[in-house]
Amino acid sequence: MSPISRGFHGRRRRDIDPARIPPGQYVVDDFPVLSAGPTPRTPLEQWTFTIGGEVDAPKSWPWDELLALPAETITVDIHCVTKWSKLDTGWTGVSVDTLLESVDTESQYVTAWCDGGYTTNLPLADLTGGRAWVAYRFDGAPLHPEHGGPARLLVPHLYFWKSAKWVRGLTLTSADEPGFWEAAGYHNRGDPWKEQRYWND
Amino acid sequence: MERAALLERLTGRRAPIVWRTATVREIVPETAQANTLVLDVPGWPGHLAGQHVDLRLTAEDGYQAERSYSIASPPESPGLALTVVVFDDGEVSPYLVEELRVGDQFEVRGPVGGYFTWRVEDGGPLLLIAGGSGLVPLMAMLRHHAAQASTVPVSMLVSARSLDDVLYRDELAGLGGRDGVAVSYTLTREQPPGWTGFERRVDGEMLTAVGPNAGEHPHVFVCGPTAFVESVADRLVGLGHPPGAIRAERFGPTGE
Amino acid sequence: MSEEALWLDGNAIAGLLAEAFGAELTNTARGCQSCGAVNRLGAHRVYRSAGAVVRCPVCGDLALRITKLPDRHVVVLAGTWTLEVPQA
Repeated sequence: MSPISRGFHGRRRRDIDPARIPPGQYVVDDFPVLSAGPTPRTPLEQWTFTIGGEVDAPKSWPWDELLALPAETITVDIHCVTKWSKLDTGWTGVSVDTLLESVDTESQYVTAWCDGGYTTNLPLADLTGGRAWVAYRFDGAPLHPEHGGPARLLVPHLYFWKSAKWVRGLTLTSADEPGFWEAAGYHNRGDPWKEQRYWND
Repeated sequence: MERAALLERLTGRRAPIVWRTATVREIVPETAQANTLVLDVPGWPGHLAGQHVDLRLTAEDGYQAERSYSIASPPESPGLALTVVVFDDGEVSPYLVEELRVGDQFEVRGPVGGYFTWRVEDGGPLLLIAGGSGLVPLMAMLRHHAAQASTVPVSMLVSARSLDDVLYRDELAGLGGRDGVAVSYTLTREQPPGWTGFERRVDGEMLTAVGPNAGEHPHVFVCGPTAFVESVADRLVGLGHPPGAIRAERFGPTGE
Repeated sequence: MSEEALWLDGNAIAGLLAEAFGAELTNTARGCQSCGAVNRLGAHRVYRSAGAVVRCPVCGDLALRITKLPDRHVVVLAGTWTLEVPQA
């Protein structure tokens, strides 16, 4: 049992409706920058987004084509497995449903892969039904590199390590293949409302 | 320090790295923005100059925040002292400097950080370069040097925004007067009238003026905010110091 | 935040590694699997993410990933590590 540090409160927001906060989380106003490595800097003229793997035929979009696709602007809460949550964040991006229309697959799992080598795996079902985007604007401005720009995966109903920064593609797989953090102790799915942080949760 | 703990440290046998309760015994103001916290930590196994502790605060509802702080006291001191500098945007440092009272408790884990340590038997000459709060672990080294009456030559360069920001000012003046110990200062933002020290960011010329040159094979320790350490390390390498002889400890963007 | 602010030295996770391995490891030597450079852990670069990531200071390739679970640490190592762990 840790001793209580008298008078210490931390900087969390404590005026939030608890129903909005998943178990074990606390709300912050800033946007912490967490990274598994240096910020990649792929020039936009070389940037592409690719859906491949177990699909009938892989499909790739260069940057200007991605931006030309129908986009949505959404406001969502995001939850990091390191316990901070940020409410009402605004993003603009292309729904993954829209991107998946271009391929046929029978696979049930996806590995998102990124510049810099980061990967994360999740069930395909978690990327569909209007619950995931490839997002390129945050709070009305182009997504900053330190937060994953030019584009990141956005899957707000799962812990934010699934919202892979600097995403470059989705690889459809028949088996669930643990990504960067899933191979090192984190949960394959990561639902914050079921507190699926780690293996065996 | 308990005899058993001392023996354990000297023979290299494992002392468990666990969270221990620290009770504040004394608070010593250092500058307007910094206090030294003198702590009672039952079971403290002792430490080497340069090491740090992880410090953890727990709020009443269980929320915890953790930060690392360098140990200011030398191994020869009984008890454990940490010097904390306030960073306005910080979550932990304002609490530790502005709210904390004698008798309050938190937890510390350590000592850790064997890479950034110096013992008298490691020899020298020593070149210690401190930016802001980076002075804390280097001061532990200088205090250890003094406690052992070491004859290893020491050059210390302290960079701070103003004289009022320099930690341990009076003590540094005293230690700097010892044979073989030279302490130089560069005040980058504001200097007192009649100031004869340096007034700019650390550069190659300054390092050449204050320190042993590469040919003397000094042990170099650099500590402070990340940008400071990067810049100083680059210049040291540029002056011929082998990267392997330079040990750095970066405190992150703000130093908190 | 500038790029250089994203990482700290190996010292920054000295406590976490000591908790996991039961020993002070910042002086441990590691040979990189990609570039071959040998550096002490204290000289490597630490990134804070969901867990902690340690990278080679020369080529940036992965050296270690560590995650703290409620009842254990999970550590994934890359490269050649020469660990010295004093007996209890």
